[in-house]
Amino acid sequence: MQSLTTLLFVILALAVAGYFLAKSRALQVAGGDIRGLVSLPSQHALNTVLSTVIPPLAAILLISLYLRLTDGNGSWFFTLVVIGLAVTGMALSLIGIKQQARARTFAERWIMGLLIFASTIAIMTTVGIVLSMLSETINFFGQYDWRRFFFSTEFTPRFQGDSELGILPLLWGTLYVSFIALSFAVPIGLFAAIYLSEYAGHRLRSVAKPAIEVLAGIPTIVYGLFALFIVGPGLRDYFAQPMGFGDSAISVMTAGLVMGIMLIPFVSSLSDDIINAVPQSMRDGSLGLGATKSETIRQVVIPAALPGIIGAGLLATSRAIGETMIVVLGAGAAAKLSLNPFEAMTTVTVKIVSQLTGDTDFASPETLVAFALGLTLFVITLGLNVFALYIVRKYREQYE
Amino acid sequence: MEDLTQMDRAMSTQQDIKISAKNVQVYYDKNHAIKDVNVEIADKTVTAFIGPSGCGKSTFLRCINRMNDTIDICRVEGDIRIDGEDIYDPKVDPVQLRAKVGMVFQKPNPFPKSIYDNVAYGPKIHGLSRNKAELDEIVEKSLRKAALWNEAKDRLDAPGTGLSGGQQQRLCIARAIATAPEVLLMDEPCSALDPIATAQVEELIDELRQSYSVVIVTHSMQQAARVSQKTAFFHLGNLVEYDDTDKIFTNPEDPRTESYISGRIG
Repeated sequence: MQSLTTLLFVILALAVAGYFLAKSRALQVAGGDIRGLVSLPSQHALNTVLSTVIPPLAAILLISLYLRLTDGNGSWFFTLVVIGLAVTGMALSLIGIKQQARARTFAERWIMGLLIFASTIAIMTTVGIVLSMLSETINFFGQYDWRRFFFSTEFTPRFQGDSELGILPLLWGTLYVSFIALSFAVPIGLFAAIYLSEYAGHRLRSVAKPAIEVLAGIPTIVYGLFALFIVGPGLRDYFAQPMGFGDSAISVMTAGLVMGIMLIPFVSSLSDDIINAVPQSMRDGSLGLGATKSETIRQVVIPAALPGIIGAGLLATSRAIGETMIVVLGAGAAAKLSLNPFEAMTTVTVKIVSQLTGDTDFASPETLVAFALGLTLFVITLGLNVFALYIVRKYREQYE
Repeated sequence: MEDLTQMDRAMSTQQDIKISAKNVQVYYDKNHAIKDVNVEIADKTVTAFIGPSGCGKSTFLRCINRMNDTIDICRVEGDIRIDGEDIYDPKVDPVQLRAKVGMVFQKPNPFPKSIYDNVAYGPKIHGLSRNKAELDEIVEKSLRKAALWNEAKDRLDAPGTGLSGGQQQRLCIARAIATAPEVLLMDEPCSALDPIATAQVEELIDELRQSYSVVIVTHSMQQAARVSQKTAFFHLGNLVEYDDTDKIFTNPEDPRTESYISGRIG
């Protein structure tokens, strides 16, 4: 590790040296008059820096991958290769500085390479996550019947083994909590967005919009505490007990309401942007025909913005399904299939956490079930996201 | 007051004056955009507003159906009457007014709905039909008047945004006609259209003159000469000259009009 840091410093030093060398050499080649050069000195310098840094960094990545696969150790040979690459890159680009040299286009290629690399990493990580989940999931289904996993209505893990690990009660809890959260967040968020973008004056808007967005910055654990100490007891004392729905402070309703509050800024700020993107000419057209403001909003603005609003809703749904902390503190950790919203239930994410943090053997189905749960959840949110993209694309060109 | 209004109305019918504006001032915040404009616009005539960009002709047009109400910083002073009725009277509902004074905009702006729903939008809002059959009839009549029926009759359910630019603009005209307005305001209706579509729309404007008072803002002096009977020349927020189109284009009184017409300013 020590040697790697040193190595990186050496490369960095070479790059800095290359920068100044290239600049002065370019000036020298130009004979003091940069108008004679095809590329500017700074462009030569950029090209030199990139050619000094990128090949050795790529080599370090490849070598460490190779060492990991072969269980070998780093040796002076690899160090030499890396430094050699850096020096060669620098030397070649320095020699290449001539009046007619097109350093701009060379640098462009290096930059394009970097950008491709960045996007590849983003895609490969997703693939890697899926693959690692997949292998553990296959492992799990080797030990546990998949029909029992998908169709059993009980989730009761035991330390001794022979547990019932059905996903249905967890999935039910997830959908129930998300449903309550969304039926709370979508109307409120949407109405707030409509008010802010269509009715509110400039000054109010410039205060209210950031204020709503502050909600998005609150850590979910804080929402969880809010659910546990205020919303939960409040719902129990004023609704559940008087109406005879039970006497549990932690309930689906508690988690759903608080999660809904968390989602309001999501829905409102996305919808607000989308509503603002509807061309003013559309509103003028409707107002010019003698429609009132609310008729215009209901019949022209909202339909035009609908694909985006649906997209915002689906994005919020993905958030709701993946939320853990609010559920742990608001709805509890008891897997249950029930219709009563004032009863404690739990979701897939909560059970993933509790199955992985127990002290059962890692190879046991009780632990591995977390991967199967995770993969199922991933497939559901992925499906939702794909659906959201499809909707947005399908209706995108409705106006313009 | 009552008497005055009635007298006014009697006079306007006599001279067939549809819109009369007196001492109209418009301010955008502190910017004085329209300065003391007086104009009388006749019924069943095409009146053209010409002038260089930023001279206030569109702003004045938007005063006639109170579209400027939708701009927060805009303030209108003075007296604008349609059929003798003060349209800035607090008793007047701007929403009702806009149903009576239709508007067609610079860029075609069909709603992202079907062609049928675009035209039926106004009649539905104002309850102009008793049943579906009547609504169908209004839609057909409006599309026919806008010379779009033959092109659109087989695709009434297709989105209005799928039409070509010229067809879209005629759809917007049909949409404005469908609410049975008395005045039709057109804000550079042909500036986004090619010459062929422009010719079609101009022909249409000439036909619309039979039933409506049409006010058109245009940048093209040839267009003003072709379609209008009366022309008003605006310059820097002032109404410089207002007369018969023939007179304006052949024998203008004001030197500014003369230089604009001949292409020396603007």
